[in-house]
Amino acid sequence: MKARKRWFPPRASRTGQRPAGRAPGAAIPRNALVWILLSQFALLLPHLPQLPIWVVPVYLCTALWRGMVLRGQWSWPSRPLRLALILAGFAAVWFSFGSLLGLEPTVALLLTAFALKLLELQRRQDAYVLIFLGYFIAVTVFLFNQDLLLVLYMVGCLWLLTSALVALHRPGEDRFNWRSGRLPAIMLLQAVPVMLVLFFVFPRIGPLWSVPLKTQAATTGVSDHMKPGDVASLSQSDAVAFRVQFAGEIPPRGELYWRGLVFSVLEEGAWRSLRYQEIPPREWRLAQKNGAGSALDYQVLMEATQQHWLYALRYPQPLDPGVMAMGDYRLYSPVEVEERFRYRVRSWPELPLDPVLSDWRRETELRLPEQGNPRTRALARELRLGAESDGDFVQRVLDYYRNGPFVYTLQPGVLGDDPIDEFLFQRQRGFCEHYASAFVIMMRAAGVPARVVAGYQGGEINPVNRTVIVHQFDAHAWAEVWLAGQGWVRVDPTAVVSPERVTLGLEEALAEEGSFLAESPLSPLRYRGIDWINSLRLRYDALTYRWQSWVVGFDSEQQLNLLQRLFGEVRARDLALLLLGSAALVLAPAAWWLLRGGRPRRLPEERLYQRLCRRLARRGLERHPGEAPGHFAERVAAERPELAAAVRRATAIYSALVYAPQQPPGERGERLRELRRAIGQL
Amino acid sequence: MHQHQALIDRAVEEVGRVLLGKQTQVRLALCCLFSGGHLLIEDLPGMGKTTLSHALADVLGLSWKRVQFTSDLLPADILGVSVYDPKDASFSFHPGPVFTQLLLADEINRTTPRTQSALLEAMAENQVTVEGETRPLPQPFFVIATQNPLHQSGTYPLPESQLDRFMMRLQLGYPDPRAERQLFEQHRLQGNTQSRAPLRQCMDSAQLLAVREAIGGVHCADALLDYLQRLVARSRAGGEFAVGLSPRGALALLDAARTWAYLAGRQHVVPEDLQAVLPAVTGHRLVPGHEYAGDGDALAALLLQTVDPVRG
Repeated sequence: MKARKRWFPPRASRTGQRPAGRAPGAAIPRNALVWILLSQFALLLPHLPQLPIWVVPVYLCTALWRGMVLRGQWSWPSRPLRLALILAGFAAVWFSFGSLLGLEPTVALLLTAFALKLLELQRRQDAYVLIFLGYFIAVTVFLFNQDLLLVLYMVGCLWLLTSALVALHRPGEDRFNWRSGRLPAIMLLQAVPVMLVLFFVFPRIGPLWSVPLKTQAATTGVSDHMKPGDVASLSQSDAVAFRVQFAGEIPPRGELYWRGLVFSVLEEGAWRSLRYQEIPPREWRLAQKNGAGSALDYQVLMEATQQHWLYALRYPQPLDPGVMAMGDYRLYSPVEVEERFRYRVRSWPELPLDPVLSDWRRETELRLPEQGNPRTRALARELRLGAESDGDFVQRVLDYYRNGPFVYTLQPGVLGDDPIDEFLFQRQRGFCEHYASAFVIMMRAAGVPARVVAGYQGGEINPVNRTVIVHQFDAHAWAEVWLAGQGWVRVDPTAVVSPERVTLGLEEALAEEGSFLAESPLSPLRYRGIDWINSLRLRYDALTYRWQSWVVGFDSEQQLNLLQRLFGEVRARDLALLLLGSAALVLAPAAWWLLRGGRPRRLPEERLYQRLCRRLARRGLERHPGEAPGHFAERVAAERPELAAAVRRATAIYSALVYAPQQPPGERGERLRELRRAIGQL
Repeated sequence: MHQHQALIDRAVEEVGRVLLGKQTQVRLALCCLFSGGHLLIEDLPGMGKTTLSHALADVLGLSWKRVQFTSDLLPADILGVSVYDPKDASFSFHPGPVFTQLLLADEINRTTPRTQSALLEAMAENQVTVEGETRPLPQPFFVIATQNPLHQSGTYPLPESQLDRFMMRLQLGYPDPRAERQLFEQHRLQGNTQSRAPLRQCMDSAQLLAVREAIGGVHCADALLDYLQRLVARSRAGGEFAVGLSPRGALALLDAARTWAYLAGRQHVVPEDLQAVLPAVTGHRLVPGHEYAGDGDALAALLLQTVDPVRG
């Protein structure tokens, strides 16, 4: 007959190992454990883009370990091992990010702790910690991304977490059960009205402390300097830079020059903007609008750039506070754009910029380095001599581009010491930066004030909601020339070389080269030719725009507007008080009942005994969860003979007080005092 | 201290004379009998199971009978049978060995379930029903059963329902080297005679009943019942347990803890008493879940480790 069961007393090592120093409490049903593991994994996924990849194996290992403990095959990690794991987690985060501060490292730490906590997941209390940590982690996902699909996904995570929480309170469910997710789903649905009310009514309070939100991710898009010839090949991204909603008709694509930065200074071969201290104070801000013309109203929803500059069409006037118009007709945000930012602008595209040029500005926009690019300067002077006016000169330079064998390419190669000479006379291949830079240098060499403007050109018009989507690959640079009587005139030399770039977009301009988005084979933008994919993409983008402006961008101002429209005059403070007051009215009695009435009141001797345990724990003598007071006292006596008398005495008094028949009040009080004295001796 | 303390101490000491180095098991066995429970002793052959049961019977001054259970034993062999008496032309009942104060059921798992279950009514209700007539058993009535480990050949494992009627299950285990040496030396002195030193009787049935009555007065505080309740709840909630503690098991635990406290000279139960008897009382009642590697004893140890006697 085969052995059916082991009958010898088990070795103490397997089941007899005490989980060191853990508080007692209810066990975690197996069903809840599976829900917890599922929700942890689900929460890990959206964080992957900003996490080092080792977090995944760490999570899988801890989950495996926890599973083996559940099956009784492995034991809990010892305290030193857990400590070592924590330190290893810190070290790994430090090695991955080079720092423990900042958004990504702290989130990585949080998720590492989230995974490691599995190794302590013994009692219900531990599960509470883990689940509420999970809710918090669900929130942190939105620090990185507020995409609509992600929000739907996180609702799923919320359901998983809540299911874990509910399953935790159903003892005896020792088998995973999908159906136990039904009640949490109903609960979440029931919470929707509350969520909506809170969304519309809860005061949007500014942060109480500022969190360094700046992520370590490299910023893409337009940078604050430009050095043509430095970049052998321009990389493109299909990320959205901003979306624009026009109040009226959308201007033709060739007119959509989104000005972001004005490069007035050429230093060491690189263009840069004027620095704050280089500008005389009267030139800082934009002068009052002069003249009249047709205005163009639009609203820009900009993605985070971690930079100050904003994008607008010609002659912009911000309609929102917090956006400044600078002396060179561009918009500026005093704080870095750390999250999606919306601003309304009114532009006068027909008005002249700076009809009268100040001496300082003329001097600044004419300045060239002493040396460098001699052939370019010579060519400029020669062309100027043959021209009748500055305007004619501009045409001649453009003609020079038009007639030469210039090619528009994103892979121009690196240029040498006199990059513009090399570009104009030898290579004759380049992209917008090269053309704009060479053009401005020729203008300045011939005494015509000129500057480079960087920003975006064009954009994709989404027919679904009539927005213009400007992608990162629409980044562009062009020139502005000051002509007497006309002010600053936009000249785009690239358009001369490659007219498709401006009228049709980058894709058509590069049709021959085939390098459009060559680095992102999966980008949906590459499949614009396929009708239904394109239509799906544009529809989703329209939905995203709506989502961004109505839900993500629902700020205190919009809230106030809405509430005032509904209820008349409302002040934010009244609203806050009303909310807090009603919440307190409902929650305070519930909390009181839960905290006081829900659990038996602790007797004084029990409190005193806890004090004794705390004091001994501070000396490294911790009572194990199942250890009866008498046994504990004997262990203490064996380990620390000097404490033996006091601990034995205190334990004996405590034990008699709790377990012996009730004594008359006077005697009981006397015994309690004795107990207090005995504990005091420790 | 109470009036029975000397009596009890002497009994423990006396049984300890034949079962060397097994203080705890001897105390537990006495605790079981004082609580009025039946005792199951499980171990390999030759570990002193029968010695212990004989010693207990001698010391407590109980009338005892012994039945060696075999595979062909029938219920009538235990309970008794009516025999036709031609003299007065009627049936007269010949009581079986069960009509005694202490029944030693040796190797109970060698017999068939049918015979095993014949003991059921006797153990649960202190009476037997033979041929439609119910007859009470003498008072007190104890069963001390011994069984071989289940993996030995030719055994019929006791069903859970029957295991549950035993208040405690004890395992004796090998004696420690010192006790074993002492055993050898005693044996050398006595030579190879089969007779063993007779044990002194320490109490009679009346005293035994008095002790049991006194144990009924041992105080159980609310805090202790709380602890018991937490233990029971834990055994029903955890995934490690396929079967938790029944109310009968919990009551047995409480009764045994009371007796244990009384044996220690206390008039109230403390958690240490409960912990002392818990492995013996619950080890054979707890059934591990199919994914748990340990057995019932491991589960009892798990209960002790995870349920805090101190209210937190």
